[in-house]
Amino acid sequence: MLFWVIAALLTLGASLAVLLPLATGRRLALSSRDHDLAVYRDQLAELDRDGARGLIKPAEATEARAEIARRILRLDSADQAGDASPGRAPAVARLVATAAVLIVPLVSWGLYSQLGSPDLPSQPLSERLAKNPADSSVDELVARAEAHLAANPSVGRGWDVLAPVYLRMQRFSDAAGAYRNAIRLDGDSAVRQAGLGEAIAGAAGGIVSADAQDAFEAALKLDPANAKASFYLAVALAQEGRGKEAAAAWQAMLARLPPDSPWRSAVGQALAKAASPEVAAGGTNGPDAAAVDAASAMSPADRQAMIGTMVAGLDGKLRQNPRDPEGWMRLVRSYVVLGKTDQARDALGRAISVFGTGSEEARKFTAFAASLGLTATE
Amino acid sequence: MVETGHFALVLAFALSLVQMTVPLFGARLGNQRLMAVGGPVTVAGFVLTALSFAALASAYASSDFSVASVWENSHSLQPLIYKLTGTWGNHEGSMLLWVLILTFFGALVAAFGSNLPATLRANVLAVQGAIGAAFFLFILLTSNPFVRLNPAPIEGRDLNPVLQDLGLAVHPPLLYLGYVGFSICFSFSVAALIEGRIDASWARWVRPWTLLAWMFLTGGIAMGSYWAYYELGWGGFWFWDPVENASFMPWLAGTALLHSAIVMEKRSALKIWTLLLAILTFSLSLLGTFLVRSGVLTSVHAFASDPTRGVFILGILTLFIGGSLALFALRASRLTAGGLFHPISREGALVLNNLFLTTATATVLVGTLYPLALEALTGDKISVGAPFFDLTFGPLMLPLLVLVPFGPLLAWKRGDVFAVAQRLMAAFAIALTAMLVTGLFIDGASVFAALGIGLAVWLVAGALTDLAVKSGVGSVAPAIMFRRFAGLPRSVFGTALAHLGLGLTLLGIVATLSFGTEKILSMRAGDTVELSGHRLRFVGLYPAQGPNYSEDRGRFELIGASGSPVGEISSAKRFFPVRQTMTTESGIKTLGFSQLYISLGDAGKDGSVVVRLWWKPLVTLIWGGGLVMMAGAAMSLMDRRLRVGAPSRRRKQALASAGLP
Repeated sequence: MLFWVIAALLTLGASLAVLLPLATGRRLALSSRDHDLAVYRDQLAELDRDGARGLIKPAEATEARAEIARRILRLDSADQAGDASPGRAPAVARLVATAAVLIVPLVSWGLYSQLGSPDLPSQPLSERLAKNPADSSVDELVARAEAHLAANPSVGRGWDVLAPVYLRMQRFSDAAGAYRNAIRLDGDSAVRQAGLGEAIAGAAGGIVSADAQDAFEAALKLDPANAKASFYLAVALAQEGRGKEAAAAWQAMLARLPPDSPWRSAVGQALAKAASPEVAAGGTNGPDAAAVDAASAMSPADRQAMIGTMVAGLDGKLRQNPRDPEGWMRLVRSYVVLGKTDQARDALGRAISVFGTGSEEARKFTAFAASLGLTATE
Repeated sequence: MVETGHFALVLAFALSLVQMTVPLFGARLGNQRLMAVGGPVTVAGFVLTALSFAALASAYASSDFSVASVWENSHSLQPLIYKLTGTWGNHEGSMLLWVLILTFFGALVAAFGSNLPATLRANVLAVQGAIGAAFFLFILLTSNPFVRLNPAPIEGRDLNPVLQDLGLAVHPPLLYLGYVGFSICFSFSVAALIEGRIDASWARWVRPWTLLAWMFLTGGIAMGSYWAYYELGWGGFWFWDPVENASFMPWLAGTALLHSAIVMEKRSALKIWTLLLAILTFSLSLLGTFLVRSGVLTSVHAFASDPTRGVFILGILTLFIGGSLALFALRASRLTAGGLFHPISREGALVLNNLFLTTATATVLVGTLYPLALEALTGDKISVGAPFFDLTFGPLMLPLLVLVPFGPLLAWKRGDVFAVAQRLMAAFAIALTAMLVTGLFIDGASVFAALGIGLAVWLVAGALTDLAVKSGVGSVAPAIMFRRFAGLPRSVFGTALAHLGLGLTLLGIVATLSFGTEKILSMRAGDTVELSGHRLRFVGLYPAQGPNYSEDRGRFELIGASGSPVGEISSAKRFFPVRQTMTTESGIKTLGFSQLYISLGDAGKDGSVVVRLWWKPLVTLIWGGGLVMMAGAAMSLMDRRLRVGAPSRRRKQALASAGLP
C-alpha cells in the first residue's frame, strides 16, 4: 500500500515539473543578440585585464579590440532578421503541452506494470534472519546458523548440526567443509567420516572417489557396523565394474542389518538395480553386463587391454559429443584408475574448456579431480 | 524501497521523453513556455535517477538477495564498502551509474544555464534528453538492475574478487564522469547544428565542460592504470588492452577538443572543426561504452550468440553518431567560418596539435577495431598489442611532445618562432644536459632512455619557462615579477600545470621502462635477495583469514645499510571460496617516487615460494603526472573568464550610453 502512495506522489511531482512551467506566465526572454553582446563585453574586459598585467602588447591589444568591435558590428547588422515572437502557433504548442502532461503518468505506469514486481517487499538479509524462526524457510534457518558459526567458528556442535542439513540441500562442498570442521574440533567419529565420504561423493556427482573411499574406510575402522560406509563402499565397487563383488557386499549388509534399519530398502533397491544388466556397469553408456562378465573371466593383462579400449571409446565419444559432464567425470576417473595421470589431466583440461573456465561444471570437475588426487595444470 | 527505485527509474524515462521533445518544439515554434519545460524536467529527471540509484545501493548494502543483480554480484560477508561499490561493479549497476551522471550533467546545465540564449539552452537539454531516453530504455529493456527473485536466495554469489578493491570505488565513477561529461559538448554541438548558427557564448560554454570532462577522464584513466598495476600483480601499468584503448581514444580526442576550443573562444576560428571534434569525442565515448558493455571484446561469437544488449547499444551508437554526423553534413555549410591567422601563431600551433592528436586517435582506433573486424569476417583471432602501438602511436607523439613548449609562448594571429626559441634556450639547455647525463653516466646503451628523459625534462622545463616568461623573469625587477606572477590568469597556470604533468608522466614511463629491474626466484623463509641496491629478506608465509577469503601472506623485510630491518612489505595470495578464485595482492613499498613491487607466485612443496620482484624507478610519476594534469584543468576551470555573466537590460543600456552599439 505504502508503495502505491509513494508511486502516486512521485508521479504527481514529475507531472508538476512538466505542468508548472507550462502554466506560469511566460517570462520575457532576451534575444540571442543580448547574449552575444554580453560575451563580447566580457572579452573586452579580459583584454583590459591582460593589458594591465602586461600579458599582451599594446599594439596587439588594440588590434584585438578592433576585432571584437567588428564582431559586435556584424552582430548588429545580422540582427535585423528579427526575433521570433514568443507566442507563435499557440494551437500546436497547446497540443504538445497536453501530450507532454499526459505522457508522464501513462508511460510510467504502463511500463512499470509490465516490468515491476510491486507486491514483492524488500528483503534485507538482516531482517530475514531476525524474524521468528517458525516463519523462516530452511534456507533462512541455515543462513542463521551460518551467521552464528561465522561468529563462533570453534563450536564443533554447530558444524555437526549443519553438515547433514547441507547434505540434504545438496550443498555438498559446504557439507564436506562442515564435516571436516566437526572432525577437527570435536574429534573423529564414524558418523562424521561417513558423512564426509557422502559429501565428497555428492560433490563429484555421485561417484565414489578415492578420497570418499578413504573417509568411508576410516568410518568402518571406527565403527564396523556403520551402514552408510558399507553401502557406499559397495557402490564404489559397482562403479568400478566389479558388480558381483558389490552385490556380495550388499548381500552381506542385508544379513547384518537390524530388521528396522532404514538402510534395508536402499540396499534392496541397489541390489535390484545391480541385477538389471544395464545399470550394473554404472550407467547407460557403460559396457554391458556381458562385457563385464567376459572381463572378469579374462586374464589381468587382457582385462587391462579391454578396459583400455573401452576408455578410448568413451574418449572418442566425448570428442564428438562433448557436452556430457557425467561422461567426462567417468573418463577422468577411468584414466586415474588406470594410472594414466597425464591423460587424466588432459581429459580434465578438455572437459573444463568445453564448459568454459569458471562455469558451474568446470568447478565441479576441479573439485572432482581434486578428490581423486588430481590437480589441474594450466 | 527496491520497487520505489524501479518506479523512479521508469518515471525518469518518461520525463526524458518529455525532455527530448517539448523544449525542441519550443525552440522551433519560438514558444517560451514550452522551452521553459526543459529546465524543471531535467532536474526532476536527475532527482528520480538519483533516488533509483540510492534504492539499488541500499539493496546492495543490506544484502537484499531478492534483487537478481545483488544476488549475482554480492555476498553477505563482504565488507560494507565493497557491498556499496559492488553497486556499479556489474553491468546493470554500472549502466545506472552512467545515466545518473548523464542526468546530473543535464541538471547542471539546467541549473546554471540561465545565462545561455533560451533556444540554445532548450536544444541542448533536448539532445541531452534524447541520449538519456535511449539509455534509460536500454537499461529497462535489456539490463534492468531491479529484476526480482522470488523466493529470494539466502546467499549471493559474491563480487568478482578482482573488483573487491578500493579502486572500484574511484575508477569507474571518475571514468564515467569523463565519458559522460563529453555528452554536454556533444549536445551543444548538435544544438548549434539544429539552430544552424553558433552563438558567441557557445565556445565559452563548451570549453569549461570540455575541461571538466577531460579532468575526470584523465583522473579515471590514471586511476585505472594504477589499479591494474597493483591489482593484477604483474607490475605493468598500460597494456594497450581494448578496454584501456576505449577510454584512451576519447581522451586523445578530448585533448584535441580542449585545444581547438581555446582557438574558437579566443579568435572565433576553427568553429566547424571544433563542432565536429565535439561530436567525434562523444562518439568515441559511446563506442567505448559499446566495446566494454556489449561483450564484443570477450569474443565476437559470444556477442553474436546473445546479441540483445550488443545490438541495442549498436543501435544507440548508430542513431547518435550517424544522426549527428548527418546533421553536420547538412548544416555545417550554413555555419559561418571564423577569423584568419598565420600558420606560425598560437592558432597554428593548436591546429598542429589537433592534427597530431586526431591522427593518433585514428591509429588507436584502427588497432582496437581491426582484430574485431578480422575475427568477425574470417574467424581468425589476432591480438594487436604493444608492438603495433609502439610503431604507430609513438612516432606520432614524438614531434607533438617536442612542440608542446612552443605553443603557449607563441602570440595569437602572428607568432615569431625565433623569439620563442630564444626564450626556450634555457629549457633546451637543461633538457640537453639531462640527455647527456643519462646517456653518459646512467645508461649508455639505450638511445631510447636518453632521448626519453631529455624529452620529459624538456616538457617540464618548457612549462616552467612559460610561467617565467609571462611573469617577466629577467626583464623586470623581482618585486614586479612576483606581483605579475601572482596576478597571472588562472588559465595560464592551468596550461603550465597540464604540460608539466605530461612531462612528469613521460618521465615516469621512460624511467620505469629503461631503468626498471626484475627478478624471479624461489625463496624460503630467511632467504635474502638484492635488487638494484635494495636488500630484502623473506620472513615467511603466514596464513590468515579475511571476511570472505583466506590468504597466505608472504612477509618481507627491507634491510637497511646497517643490516637491520627498515621496513616491511607483504604480498598475499587470496582464495575466495564462493567464486573459487585466487587473486594476488601485490606488496608495494614506495621509496621517494620509486617503488619496490613484490608479487607472490605458487608455493612449492618444500616450503619455498616463487617470488617476483621489480624495482620501478620513478614509477609513481606516471600517475602523479596525471594528478598534476587534473590540477591544471581544475585551475583553468577557476579562471574568471569562464564565468560569463547573464546579460541584462540595464547593461545593454549602459553600453548604448557609452556609445557602443
